[in-house]
Amino acid sequence: MSRTRTAHPKPGAVSRALAADRLGVPAVLFFVMAGVAPLTVAAGVIPTAYATTGLTAIPAAFIVIAVILAIFSAGYVAMARAIRNAGAFYAFIAAGLGRVTGVAAALVALFAYSLLQVGLYGAFGPNAASEAAAHLGVHGPWWAFALGAWAVVAVLGLARVEVTGRVLGVLLCAELAVIIAQTVGGLARPAGGHLSFATLSPAALGSAGLGTFGVLAVVAVLGFVGFEQAPVLGEEAKNPRRTVPAATYTALALIAVVYATASWAMAAHAGTGHVAAAAAAQGPGLMFGLSGSALLSQAAQWLFLTSLFAAALSFHNSVWRYTYALGRENVLPTAFGRTSASNIPKAASLAQSATGLAVITGYALTHQDPMTRLFFWLGTSGGLGIMILLAVTSAAVAVFFARNARGESIWARLIAPALAAILLAGIVVLAVEHYAVLLGVPPGSPAAWVLPASYAAIAAVGLCWGLILKVRRPQIYAAIGLGAHAATAAPAITGRRP
Amino acid sequence: MTGQGSARPGPRLGLSGTGRAADELYLIAHHEQTGRPHLAPRAVGLGLAGALLAELIFSSAAIIDAGTVTCNGLSQADDPLSITVAGQIAVESPPRPVSDWLAFLARTASAEVAARLEDDGYLTAVPGRPWRGARWVPADPDCAFAPVARLKAALDPSRPGDEQAVTVAGLAAACGLGPRLGLYLPPGTRYCIDALVGLLDPGLHDVIAATKAAVDAALLAHRI
Repeated sequence: MSRTRTAHPKPGAVSRALAADRLGVPAVLFFVMAGVAPLTVAAGVIPTAYATTGLTAIPAAFIVIAVILAIFSAGYVAMARAIRNAGAFYAFIAAGLGRVTGVAAALVALFAYSLLQVGLYGAFGPNAASEAAAHLGVHGPWWAFALGAWAVVAVLGLARVEVTGRVLGVLLCAELAVIIAQTVGGLARPAGGHLSFATLSPAALGSAGLGTFGVLAVVAVLGFVGFEQAPVLGEEAKNPRRTVPAATYTALALIAVVYATASWAMAAHAGTGHVAAAAAAQGPGLMFGLSGSALLSQAAQWLFLTSLFAAALSFHNSVWRYTYALGRENVLPTAFGRTSASNIPKAASLAQSATGLAVITGYALTHQDPMTRLFFWLGTSGGLGIMILLAVTSAAVAVFFARNARGESIWARLIAPALAAILLAGIVVLAVEHYAVLLGVPPGSPAAWVLPASYAAIAAVGLCWGLILKVRRPQIYAAIGLGAHAATAAPAITGRRP
Repeated sequence: MTGQGSARPGPRLGLSGTGRAADELYLIAHHEQTGRPHLAPRAVGLGLAGALLAELIFSSAAIIDAGTVTCNGLSQADDPLSITVAGQIAVESPPRPVSDWLAFLARTASAEVAARLEDDGYLTAVPGRPWRGARWVPADPDCAFAPVARLKAALDPSRPGDEQAVTVAGLAAACGLGPRLGLYLPPGTRYCIDALVGLLDPGLHDVIAATKAAVDAALLAHRI
């Protein structure tokens, strides 16, 4: 006898059931913060930035960039209400500035996120090697440990085993707790017994020249990467009009406070004039030793490794999702848009794994410093790419709403995106002009122009490919930016620019 | 294209199957011996949700009009699960889009279709662990694998098109079972399925397209 239910259905049951399955602000916020990997930035990016750039206004940079990103977010979340697409940047740019520009943005985004992911191995390798030597008596080169992490990420990426939500949640809370404890400890023990606020002052941002603000901004943006992921869950949110903005602004505030105070504590503890030298000597130890507690320091070191690994896996999964989305729309080869068993886009995942293997091998064979030249260089270059996308997205938002206001306020549809576009574009120009300072290399060094120029090259390839699609494959061109909704008759938005 | 629709189900286990689209898809989506799903749970749920809607279309209990689902009469549905789904559609006003019904039905489709197959003798319930719910194991691996063989025969270009078979194949491909079918179907079948899906009744085509979109959206939103 059938046990299938025959309950009398009640009106509204569907609405209630769908609502129960949707994500609220805490879930979306958690998703965003889990991708931010706070200890990776606090113990990895910030000390390396102090050491490489020699600039001390990093705390102020986090605060100022948080304000600029909050302005950017006004238009960004308004756009997310109009466009249902998990590939936010390129979909928004395609909708606002045209599909050809959208294709260029898609390739730039893929390149930026890929740099961010691969760069993490440069921090994991040497720190894992250090821990293994100290606690296990196992000695090996940094690249062996980096390849070990790479292999695990590659396998987990194929198995679609994302670190479960609960494990990520525990790690996130532990990382934040350690950062806060170390920050408080560092501020309680300032150099010379006097707590200096100099590094928090916006005036410090241009103390070494206006161009240094661009350099500091790239470092700060790197810390915020991940905040832009809230619209990815827009379709899954309980109330997209409220959930996505609330999660976005909360994440911005949380990230700004955590990183600004942590970087301030490092400068205050070491002394403003000595923090760069201290960071060069201690590396992540600059963060680990703030409180003076051996137990806290050891906990921070272990959590740093788990943070790096979780971030590498998280970014790996984000990159293959992006690749899959572009393959589904045939912007990239169709093979990337197919899934194998258990809904794994195997080709997309393997492509990112191959990229990581090639980069780690290249750095190992050329004997380059992994912490600076792999982790920091590729990480900050990824941050530059994100900043470029933020600027172009702001412009796209303004143009999109200029065609149809869709009931959005003038602040959200015009003033905020226009202001953000101008500020972010200006910062990009400053950063590129002073890229040698960011990388810590002499002016004119090849790295100082190759890395930023690569974005121009990729954008040019994207523009050409977009034009080719427009002329030779109009059906594919018409579906650019539709995302998952390319499979249905109804477009994700209306009023799109052809 | 011949429209076989949903044949009246047989109560006993057999190689001919139950004749219901969701039952066929369930068996294709799970291993014929262990009963483990070949896909992520949400993808299976969405595929089965689409198949349940397709069953209603085949029995004329529901119609798809301008992307929304409307009940066409509870009496047309011919099994308790279909009657339940048709009843849920009937009380919703105004009519909801296909995507909403997929999301709603996907929550429980796997368990409900499995229970229906268990009643018909195709599956056996196995007690679950404390950290994992009950699962179902095929009672006969040959009968569990038979839907794949039926699809292969039905999609033979030399035979008249079978509307239900094409729908099941389309839904299977939409929820990610394309690689599994590719192991047993002739090369190039993927393109054949796409072409045949394009010839289906617009309502069935909409359901398959919406299922594909829902699975893609879930994958991109980190829900799979």
